[in-house]
Amino acid sequence: MSAAERSPGLAARPLAVLPPLVLLGLLAALPLLNLGANSVKVLFLTFVSIAASVGWNILGGFAGQVSFGFAVFYGLGAYTTAVGINEGLNPYLTYPLAGAVAALASLLVGLPTFRLRGPYFAIATIGVSEATRVVMTNLEFTGGASGYRITEHVPFRQLEHYFTGLMLAALAVGLSIIVRRSRFGLGLRAIRDDQDAAADSGVNPFASKLAAHAIAAALTGAAGGVYARYAAFIDPEGVFGFQRGVGILLLPVIGGVNTIWGPVIGGGVYGVIEEELVARFPQVHLLLYGILVMLIILFEPGGIVGLFQRTRRFLLRRRFASWQPS
Amino acid sequence: MATLLTIEELSKRFSGLAALDHISFEIREGEIVGLIGPNGAGKTTLFSIIAGSQPPTSGKIVFEGRDFTRVKPYRAVHAGIARTHQIPQPFLSMTVRENVEVGLRFGRAREGAQELIKGVMQVLELVGIAPLAELPAAALSVGDLKRLELARTLATRPRLLLCDEVCAGLTECEMQSILGLLRRIQALGTTIIYVEHNLRAILSTCHHVIVLNFGKKLAEGPPEKMQNDPAVIEAYIGKKAEAPRP
Repeated sequence: MSAAERSPGLAARPLAVLPPLVLLGLLAALPLLNLGANSVKVLFLTFVSIAASVGWNILGGFAGQVSFGFAVFYGLGAYTTAVGINEGLNPYLTYPLAGAVAALASLLVGLPTFRLRGPYFAIATIGVSEATRVVMTNLEFTGGASGYRITEHVPFRQLEHYFTGLMLAALAVGLSIIVRRSRFGLGLRAIRDDQDAAADSGVNPFASKLAAHAIAAALTGAAGGVYARYAAFIDPEGVFGFQRGVGILLLPVIGGVNTIWGPVIGGGVYGVIEEELVARFPQVHLLLYGILVMLIILFEPGGIVGLFQRTRRFLLRRRFASWQPS
Repeated sequence: MATLLTIEELSKRFSGLAALDHISFEIREGEIVGLIGPNGAGKTTLFSIIAGSQPPTSGKIVFEGRDFTRVKPYRAVHAGIARTHQIPQPFLSMTVRENVEVGLRFGRAREGAQELIKGVMQVLELVGIAPLAELPAAALSVGDLKRLELARTLATRPRLLLCDEVCAGLTECEMQSILGLLRRIQALGTTIIYVEHNLRAILSTCHHVIVLNFGKKLAEGPPEKMQNDPAVIEAYIGKKAEAPRP
């Protein structure tokens, strides 16, 4: 286990916050380079995906509760923002609202499904997700299957979206770090390792999972909201689709489930590859993803971060080949 | 001494099979009580019910004067009832230190950042695995895992410790050191119920012994007396053959 994975050391390491801040600064300064509209769009979408996936990772990674149903929260957030803006709310007020609606929904989803464990929980979330999509497809108030359009009477400024996405992704990562280092985060790790032993040590598994679900859903919902305002048009197939739910957990799987930076690295890789793949192989890009995910799960379940840690351990072991623990 | 735990007419049925059949006893504060009986006598089931992992079919559990009959496991821990498992259940992705931190931060005392570092070392030193603090739990030997299980449980600061066969599978030497540890824990003010197959371990450690057989309480009393109780001997070894005819 790397030093970054270890829970708090109580003396904080002040230098550890530097690289992320530098990264944030670089990304914030990036538009100065006069990137093309398409590059800004790719980056924006990457930030939104990262925010949702970092959220998912708090439940699916830290607490080990793999959900395929996060499209529910993404979609609800998207529709909340869309309706909110059309009703005349300030867009920036609709994002927290989107998060709150998603968090509320997460409680409704979690109360029954968290009585299930492992694969049974995962299957139940697929059911919830599909049911929500069907309901939204038939909901007249939001235009049903034909989708919902956002009308704003302000000029479209792409960079405003860029910074909103960046801030949301940064917020998600910050929150994820805080959770990871907190008492709550330690409880989630215990649940991931062994739920019964966690309860025997005083952790309340049900309440902890509900709380992790709510935080994860709030971030995913806000991401859905930020996406919706950019897209200006959303439909149930797009934001509630099963593919959306799988897409949200794809980034952590690629980058490294149950790590802080896995979903971020996964997002970077995915964002770049997706552009290339979709452009070159429009018919089979999903097949290529499938193959990529299978390879990762088979050969490096820890994702890119896992591969990095393994390499580091390998190098350290060679250096300290003679050292024996106690 | 004051009564800490009262078990009243406790029964547990698994679809017809009575794993526990109207068990009643009292545990006084500050004792080490041995709970013995042949395989399948219901010892571990009894522990699970007291710790809240399983609900009883009928009967009542009173802990410090309050009804704890169908309490959730984490609530039992918060009140001061903690158990160790026969097969250790460590958090394998964590270090030894982190395992103990879970008990400290979520247990009865809910220790904050200030006490945490001190608490971890204190517990690890008591149990004797302080040098292993930074090792991953997955790297520990069976004996050390048993100590870690005990350490994590002690970290919840229990008033009543339920110890399930902490000595099974250990060498004589390891066993003596664990028994010494139980006596130290008791001396620090924790009441202990101790499940054990090994009669010698029970005799040398416990103040009081409860004998279970086929889910029923067979006998109860001081260890020396239990050792010579014909019913207990019969349950363990079998009945003496009738004298051969001349």
